[in-house]
Amino acid sequence: MELNPCLKHKVLRKSVREFAEGVLGPIAAEIDHQARFPWEVVQAMRPLQYFGIQAPPDLGGAGLDTISYAIVIEELSRVSAGVGLCVSVHNSVALYPLLRFGTPEQIARLAPELISGQRIGAFCLTEANAGSDAGGVETMATRQGQDYLLSGTKIFVTNGGVCGLALMFAVTDPGAKGRAASVLMVEKERPGFAVGEIEELAGMRCNPVSSIFLEDCRVPAANLLGRPGDGLKIGLTALDTGRLGIAAQALGIAQAALEAGLKYAKERQQFGRAIAEFQTIQNYLADMATEVEAGRLLLYRACALKDAAKNFGTQAAMAKLFCSRTAREVTNLAVQIHGGCGYSKEYEVERLYRDAKVTEIYEGTSEIQRLVIARGLLSQPTAGRAV
Amino acid sequence: MHIVVCLKQVPMVSELPWDPRTGRLMRGQAEGMMNPACKHALEAALRLKEEHGGSLTALCMGPPEAEEVLREALALGADEAVLLCDPRLAGADTLATSHTLARAIQAVAPDFDLALLGCTTTDSETGQVGPQLAEELDLPAAFNVEHLELTGRALTVRRVYDGFLETLEMDLPALLTITTQEFAPRETPLGGLERAFAQASVRVMDAEAIGASLDRVGDKGSAGRMLRVYSPTAQKKCVLLTGAVKKSVQELFERYGDRLGGLIGQDLASEEEGHDQ
Amino acid sequence: MTNSRDVWVFGDYRNYFQNRVTLQLLARGRELAQAQEGELCAVVIGHDLQQWVDEYVAHGADRVLALDHPSLTAYQGETYTSLLVDLARERKPAVILVGATSFGRELAARAAKRLGTGLTADCVDLRLDDQGRLVQTAPGFGGNLLAEIVIPRHWPQMATVRPGTFQELPHDYERQAPVEWLPLPAGLKPERVRLVKSERLAPREQALETAGVVVCGGRGMGSKKKFRNLVELARLLGGQVAATRPVVYARWCEEGALVGQAGRQIKPQVLFSFGVSGAIQHTAGIGGAPFIVAVNKNPGAVMMQMADVGLVADANQACLALIRELKKRLRS
Repeated sequence: MELNPCLKHKVLRKSVREFAEGVLGPIAAEIDHQARFPWEVVQAMRPLQYFGIQAPPDLGGAGLDTISYAIVIEELSRVSAGVGLCVSVHNSVALYPLLRFGTPEQIARLAPELISGQRIGAFCLTEANAGSDAGGVETMATRQGQDYLLSGTKIFVTNGGVCGLALMFAVTDPGAKGRAASVLMVEKERPGFAVGEIEELAGMRCNPVSSIFLEDCRVPAANLLGRPGDGLKIGLTALDTGRLGIAAQALGIAQAALEAGLKYAKERQQFGRAIAEFQTIQNYLADMATEVEAGRLLLYRACALKDAAKNFGTQAAMAKLFCSRTAREVTNLAVQIHGGCGYSKEYEVERLYRDAKVTEIYEGTSEIQRLVIARGLLSQPTAGRAV
Repeated sequence: MHIVVCLKQVPMVSELPWDPRTGRLMRGQAEGMMNPACKHALEAALRLKEEHGGSLTALCMGPPEAEEVLREALALGADEAVLLCDPRLAGADTLATSHTLARAIQAVAPDFDLALLGCTTTDSETGQVGPQLAEELDLPAAFNVEHLELTGRALTVRRVYDGFLETLEMDLPALLTITTQEFAPRETPLGGLERAFAQASVRVMDAEAIGASLDRVGDKGSAGRMLRVYSPTAQKKCVLLTGAVKKSVQELFERYGDRLGGLIGQDLASEEEGHDQ
Repeated sequence: MTNSRDVWVFGDYRNYFQNRVTLQLLARGRELAQAQEGELCAVVIGHDLQQWVDEYVAHGADRVLALDHPSLTAYQGETYTSLLVDLARERKPAVILVGATSFGRELAARAAKRLGTGLTADCVDLRLDDQGRLVQTAPGFGGNLLAEIVIPRHWPQMATVRPGTFQELPHDYERQAPVEWLPLPAGLKPERVRLVKSERLAPREQALETAGVVVCGGRGMGSKKKFRNLVELARLLGGQVAATRPVVYARWCEEGALVGQAGRQIKPQVLFSFGVSGAIQHTAGIGGAPFIVAVNKNPGAVMMQMADVGLVADANQACLALIRELKKRLRS
């Protein structure tokens, strides 16, 4: 197993960092304060293939591997987690399931617009009474000839306010055991598709997270992803990949907090010397750096498994669990190092602190990650597999 | 049309592991990046290629790690990349560097029409390689170029030189150095990066391969000898003016008005009496 | 013929700044020449040179070599190089000093290449060591490092020198020195680069990169409104406004004003720095200006340590006080 990043990954990281710092850096604080979605950044990202990171080049994608994907999300999130979130969700839980489960006709019809970023993707599972419990979905898709009629309300949809294509989880056969859910791909312009109010959230504020209302929204059966009742399978597959993205995002936030903490500790003088010279602060910094490094290795290991077409679900859950906790803890320490300044909007760590928390919640809470990990553990021989 | 662009990898200054007290620099540990002016030169080359067609060769002299900047150039659209990598080329001053680059250009792109370079690098900051390469290749050349236009084989360039805005004309083949004022570099497309590694290759050449004479390259071919390197911030004595702002400002002019005035070409030393009242 | 001990200074006179550097170099060149019992010689190429010849004699030249011809009216890289190199080969000076102006840097680099010798760029100090070698101090990494360089085995020792490094001598128009008016040699190759248009730029039109005076503001200016005071100060000084990253992030000014590793590289004669902490990403772009005035509430800020003069004060207050004081002095 290669533990050092190869030259491609190194050059990629530098390029994305330069782009993020140059284009996103100047506005990262502002788009958070004003809860503004930066369309100008989307426009800049489109020709650079940020909306088709792993999509095949013949469809206009960049054709990169999964570690590269994680690096892109980490570096975007290091500067603006809300933008990192947009790109992560688009690539991992919208575009990826289409490419994985879509028919050639569906891919030819729907993928290019996603890959070019003309349409931003969204993933609509969560409802008032369904979240971690995918079986609780109440949105209905009623078959009418060649179409489905969709009705229901989705909440907390990342990219909700700006999405052009939404993967909608809906019950197609209420009679079936476990109320079989299916996935329908819904373009935003279909009558009956409406975006609700943008949520006022603590973090990720530049991402227009919203509800989506479906009222007799007519969608052709040709937009059904997979077969009727495949919803759970598609959802779980998408979320496995999505977790890599969220782990990468959490890692980017943690990395930013570590850097901010280091910088401040070296600059800030107390009792006549830089606070970095105090052992307590050094301990904080050492813990922060160790957590970030460990999280990165865990994440890349999961990505490498995926690239090698091995099972990676358990490792993805571990990476998501660990990196999101790391993000919360590292941002917390970074604020602590900053003292009062860290609680002020004038400093970046205040935003990082708010952005970090949700990584423990969305795309599977930490509790669900533990469930996934435990399930993986318990289904294997006690001695585990040789790694 | 065949363009050669010479690129240099320089240490990323923010990453530079150096001790401001001793001025010691551990250059080997520094993260590298493409020299900013070289990026602008590459951008100029890419735009010319887009407009006029042809091919673009990126050339870089440096250690093995300098492959990075060539991959970057390939990702952005260079057709060919050559790394001049040979311990015997190390330690070159501009005299030796210009010789090495000239031999390399003649070896890999004898048919070139235009050589582009950054006007200066952020590490050694000499700005001498462009003019010296033009001498060695015996080419018409212009330095610190901000704008260029190509009509057939006629090149028209614009530059600011010592407070003059100059427009110059020359015929290809020619050599230009590009400033950081214009030609804002484009961002790297992710797919370009994938292709730069999966499909393209970097050709590595040593001193023999480019036909350079060994006594004219590297440390051996250099005329300058470095006695020592140190950090000026550790030495510079800053005169601190404290107290009321108005007084400090007046003191500034009283003590340094001559020097300031000389530097900006104004008489600042004298203060006509009575104005203050 | 053995090498002489003479020190040559290239007479770069095209504009005020360039001529100032020449005079500054004559001052230090004179010390260097006297120390090795050589002659200080000004070499001036162009047309209608009498006033420059007189000025160089008045500022310390022991001899002037003048090549005056109408075809040399405009500065030309190839031709001037040929003329300088031929003269150097004939007379073998020990040292050739050239002001680090745009043209000077081109000319010196070309000449050094043709002469096959070393050239140290943009020196901020020149001295002789105990072996009589010219020790040249040159900046690197935006002035964050200085290197001392000698050219031990090649001839002549050449350096370009940053304007403002040395103080010119007071002029003495009574002073006499031999002046050789040299003929244009036959068989000069025609210049391959044609100068189509040349217009003098007003200081304000100059790009940040080439501005002689730069007024740079950091986060310590306090607000967008206060930051605009720097524009007024820059106007009075005939300079340009630059900014650090936090300022650009906060949109107190346009992005084009960003100076540093990710922005523009400047090389001013004078840098006024207001409320700038001095992160290396920024200082990497300031080119080790020969004279830096920094204003900061914190006397320990890196930028203050890099400065020649540090005003311990509120950046905006100091800016306003400077504007008032300058207006007074410029009026007088």
